[in-house]
Amino acid sequence: MYEQDLYEHADVINELLARYGVKFGIYKNNVFKEQLFPFDAIPRIIPGDEFAELEKGLKQRVTALNLFLKDIYGKKQIVRDKVVPEEFVYASSGYLTECEGVTPVKDIYSHISGIDLVQAKNGEWYVLEDNLRVPSGASYPMIARKLCRRSSPDTFRNVRLEDNRNYAELLRRTMDHVNVGGHTVILTPGRYNAAYFEHSYLAECTGAHLVNGSELIVENDKLYYLDSNGNKERVGAVYRRISDEYLDPMTFNPESVIGISHIFDVYRKGNVALLNAPGNGIADDKGIYYFVPKMVEYYLNEEPILHNAPTYLPFYENDMKYVLEHFDQLVLKDVAEAGGYGVVFGSSMTKEQKESFIALLKAEPRRFIAQEVIDFKDLDIMDEGKRVPRKADLRAFVLMADEPLVWKSGLTRFSRNPESFIVNSSQGGGFKDTWVLSR
Amino acid sequence: MGFISITQVDELFWLGRYSERVYTTIRLFSKRYDIMLEQDSTYGEFCSMLEIPNIYTSAEDFKYRYAFDQENPDSIFSNLMRAYDNAIVLREEIGSETLSYIQLAIYEMNKAASSRAPMIEMQKVIDNILAFWGIADDSIDSEDSRNIIKIGKRVERIDLYARLKMPQAEMKREVDRLTGRIDRCSLHYRKEVLLRLNELVLEPQPDHHAIVHEIEQIVE
Repeated sequence: MYEQDLYEHADVINELLARYGVKFGIYKNNVFKEQLFPFDAIPRIIPGDEFAELEKGLKQRVTALNLFLKDIYGKKQIVRDKVVPEEFVYASSGYLTECEGVTPVKDIYSHISGIDLVQAKNGEWYVLEDNLRVPSGASYPMIARKLCRRSSPDTFRNVRLEDNRNYAELLRRTMDHVNVGGHTVILTPGRYNAAYFEHSYLAECTGAHLVNGSELIVENDKLYYLDSNGNKERVGAVYRRISDEYLDPMTFNPESVIGISHIFDVYRKGNVALLNAPGNGIADDKGIYYFVPKMVEYYLNEEPILHNAPTYLPFYENDMKYVLEHFDQLVLKDVAEAGGYGVVFGSSMTKEQKESFIALLKAEPRRFIAQEVIDFKDLDIMDEGKRVPRKADLRAFVLMADEPLVWKSGLTRFSRNPESFIVNSSQGGGFKDTWVLSR
Repeated sequence: MGFISITQVDELFWLGRYSERVYTTIRLFSKRYDIMLEQDSTYGEFCSMLEIPNIYTSAEDFKYRYAFDQENPDSIFSNLMRAYDNAIVLREEIGSETLSYIQLAIYEMNKAASSRAPMIEMQKVIDNILAFWGIADDSIDSEDSRNIIKIGKRVERIDLYARLKMPQAEMKREVDRLTGRIDRCSLHYRKEVLLRLNELVLEPQPDHHAIVHEIEQIVE
C-alpha cells in the first residue's frame, strides 16, 4: 500500500536516474553502448526481523570464507583434513599460485563481498553464489533511494525503514581500516568498463580518488600517484575494480595495459592494501560453493545459518547418478562462467542437446555443478502500467572493516522476461531498491 | 584530495573548451538559422567564417547536419558529445550534480534534433550549459579544477572570436581575462605565447589569423 505513491512517480524517478547518468556499459557487435539500468519503483521489502537473521548468516558466511582464503593460501588444513578435495582447489582458475604465502593487511581477503540470494515461496532464503572478487551493484540502490526520496517524500515520511545511503561511509570505513598510510584510491579500468558509473559514483561519495593504471607507479616497493606536476603522492589502499589477471602485468597477464607493474610486489610486502585481495576467485568458484556450509562448521564450529540451494557435484559418483536420474529437474552451471552465462536448464534442452551435454558432463565432471530449481518467490514489477510477477534475486553486501558490516539494503535484480530466471543487467534485467524495515 | 593527474588536467581543459564551443556555436547558429528563413544560401558564408569545411548540399542539409549529425565532427552535437566524453570521466572531481547538466544538455539536443522548431529546444541546451558553468563554479571544491575549466572556456572563446573577427575591444577583454587567471592553476602554458597574444590584441586592427595561431599554441 505505502509504495503506491512511489510507483506513481516511477517516470520521474527514471528521468532523474537518466539525468545523473545511472548507466551500465555493454558491448553489442563490438560496439560500446551506455544503457540506462531499468529501475522498477516497487521495492523489495524485507521485515527487520527477517533481515536480522539474514545479517547473522551473512556475517557468518563471509567470516568463514575469509578464513578459508587464509587457510588455502597458507596451511591448507581444510584440504589436509579432506573437508574440501584438493581437486577442487588446485584445478580452479580462481586459485592463484602467486598468492601462496601472501598475507594481506589485517588478514582480510574479502573486504567487499556480494552474496547472491533468492527467496523461495516458503520464505526460506538460499545463497545462489558468493562474489568475492569485484562484486558490483551497490551504487544503484544507493542513488535510487536518494532520488526516490526526492520524488515521493510522502512514502518515506510514512514508512520507517533503514537508511541505505550510508554505503559510502561503510566503504570508506572498510578502506581506511586497511590503509597502510597514504591516500585511498579506486582503480578503474576506465570509462568503457560495464560498471564505470559505479566506480566514479563510489569515488565521488567516498572522497577517494578515481584513478587508472597509468596514474600509479611503483618505486622502492611503494605505490604512488603521479600528479600533474610530476609529484608523487603515497597510496596506502587501492579499491581495485579490475580483475586479478589485469592487475599487474609483471605477475599476471603480461599483456595487460590497464594494470600497474610491480603492484603485486608492493602488496606482498605489506606496503599497500588491495581490496579485494588477489586470489579470492578460489573461494567464489561455483565448485567451491558446495563446500561453504562445511567451511562454516569447520572453521567456526557453528551450524550454517544460511543455506545453499541444494547442489550436486557430478565429480562425486553418487551425485553424478542423481544428476543423470533427475536431469530434467535441475539447472546446470559451468563453474568457469559468470554473469548468467553457462547456465542451462535440463528441462529446456532438446534430446540431442541433452545427449551432447551429458557426454560433456561425463568427460569433465569437475566443470559443472547441478542445482535444484528453486521455486523463487516472484516480485511484482510495473510493466506497461500493469503489475506483473517476475523472478528476482538479491545481492547483499558484506563489508569487512574492524568488524563485519552488513549493508541494510542490497541490489534486487529482476528478469524482465516472464519466462526467464536470469536477472543479470547484461542480459536485459532491471533493478529495484531493497527496503529493510526498521524493527 | 587536492591533487589531480595530468590526464585530468587535460580532461578539465577540454571540458571547458567543448562546453564553450557548444555555447557559442549554438548562439551563432541561432542567428544564422533566423537569417536563413529568408536567405537559404548563406550557410557557405557561415562555414567559411568558422573555417569549417562546407560539406553541405543544401540549406536544409546544413540546418540538420551542422547542428545534429554526430557523424559530422564539426557539428554542435558532436562537440557536445566531446564535452560529455570529458565530463563523464571526471564525475568524482566535478560531482554528479555538475555532470548532470551536460547530460541534460544531451537530452535537450536529442529533442531539438526531432523538433520542427529546434531553436526552442536548443535554448534549453544553452540554459543547461550556463547552469553547468554556474554549478561548476559553485560546487567544485578544487580551485585548481575550476580554474582549468575556465581557462579551457576562455581559450576556446578567444579562438572562436578571432575566427569570427570580433572587434578589438572584445578580443582584448577575453585575453585580459585569460591572463588574469592562467597563473592560478596547474595548467602548463607557454608564457611567451601569452605575451604575444597580449601584444596582438593591442593593435588597432588585430591580426585575427595570428591570434588563432597563437591561442592554439598556448597550452603545452
